[in-house]
Amino acid sequence: MRCPIETQENAELLLAYCSRSLDAERTAMLEEHMRDCQSCREFAGGQKAVWEALDTWEAAPVSPDFDRRLYRRIEQEVSWWDLLMRPFRPLVFRQGLPIAATAAVVLMAGLLFQHPANIQRSAAPESAQVEAMPPDQVEHALDEMETMREFNRLVRPDTAEPKM
Amino acid sequence: MSERVKTGIGVAAAALDYDAELMLRVKEGDGASFGVLLDKHRSSVVHFLYRMVQNHAVAEELAQDVFLRVYRSRSTYEPTAKFTTWLFRIATHLALNALRDGKNERLQEHLDDDSSDMPVRQVSDHRPSIEQSMVHRATLDEVRRAIKTLPEKQRAAVLMHKYEEMEYSQIAAVLSCSESAVKSLLFRAYETLRARLAHMA
Repeated sequence: MRCPIETQENAELLLAYCSRSLDAERTAMLEEHMRDCQSCREFAGGQKAVWEALDTWEAAPVSPDFDRRLYRRIEQEVSWWDLLMRPFRPLVFRQGLPIAATAAVVLMAGLLFQHPANIQRSAAPESAQVEAMPPDQVEHALDEMETMREFNRLVRPDTAEPKM
Repeated sequence: MSERVKTGIGVAAAALDYDAELMLRVKEGDGASFGVLLDKHRSSVVHFLYRMVQNHAVAEELAQDVFLRVYRSRSTYEPTAKFTTWLFRIATHLALNALRDGKNERLQEHLDDDSSDMPVRQVSDHRPSIEQSMVHRATLDEVRRAIKTLPEKQRAAVLMHKYEEMEYSQIAAVLSCSESAVKSLLFRAYETLRARLAHMA
């Protein structure tokens, strides 16, 4: 047997041996090798010591209220929307989405075929609109017309008054 | 419910592991299955996190986050890997983040008090003497310090290998690296631990 300690790949054999997870056949082979190989014996001795030291480290038991705290956090996560949607969720996810999508497409198509003119008509205004003028502006315009008329009469007296 | 889960995607999950099947039931709205998963993995997750961050309060807080994330992800869960691989990937991710953020540093002053909560192993049928207790405490303290000196990824690999008895392939999946990278991590980690703890033999 090639010395396992020589390569990192084979060293996993020693690690497995020390963690007692090596099969019987390879365990026997390795033990036979270790009888003559001091490096492997030292490696295995050190690794066993590490393994046993790690065994002494027991974790404390989980707090009795761990689940209660967790479920309280989960409940806080459930929003009002979830509460509202919960009864419909299976329906929505399994059948609702395809049905709703199809219904929306059919509805849109129906609207387009039934009232195609509405869309064009809405682009043009229904009737012409007369812009309203404020009264003082009208009065000012009339004054200006009167001034012009006076001016015309002074310059060309024969054409100042229209002939009826 | 159970019959339906076993059809379709449930078959793939059942082929993977029973936990994945339970998680698929949670996805279908079965809260009791979440309780079963919690019962099954609560201790291992808390203990793993405790050994990672070495503070019981922080470990429990992180474990709560782990299970909360599992619950939140129920609607998008797909059994693409072993459930425990996914669970420990979340746990490792949170632990590494907590260590990088120094989350447990603010509770570090309680570290020594924390060790007093640990169960003292009975070396015989009788209660351990004061001397035995002190020796045990000293050993434990040395083990904890040795683990703490390991780089984070090596620490996670050792804890999963030693205490969770995970195979190299699963540790590799949790740490998102190759199997040979895991072997290398473990080899180096145990080398450091042997240098620090071999005298205990």
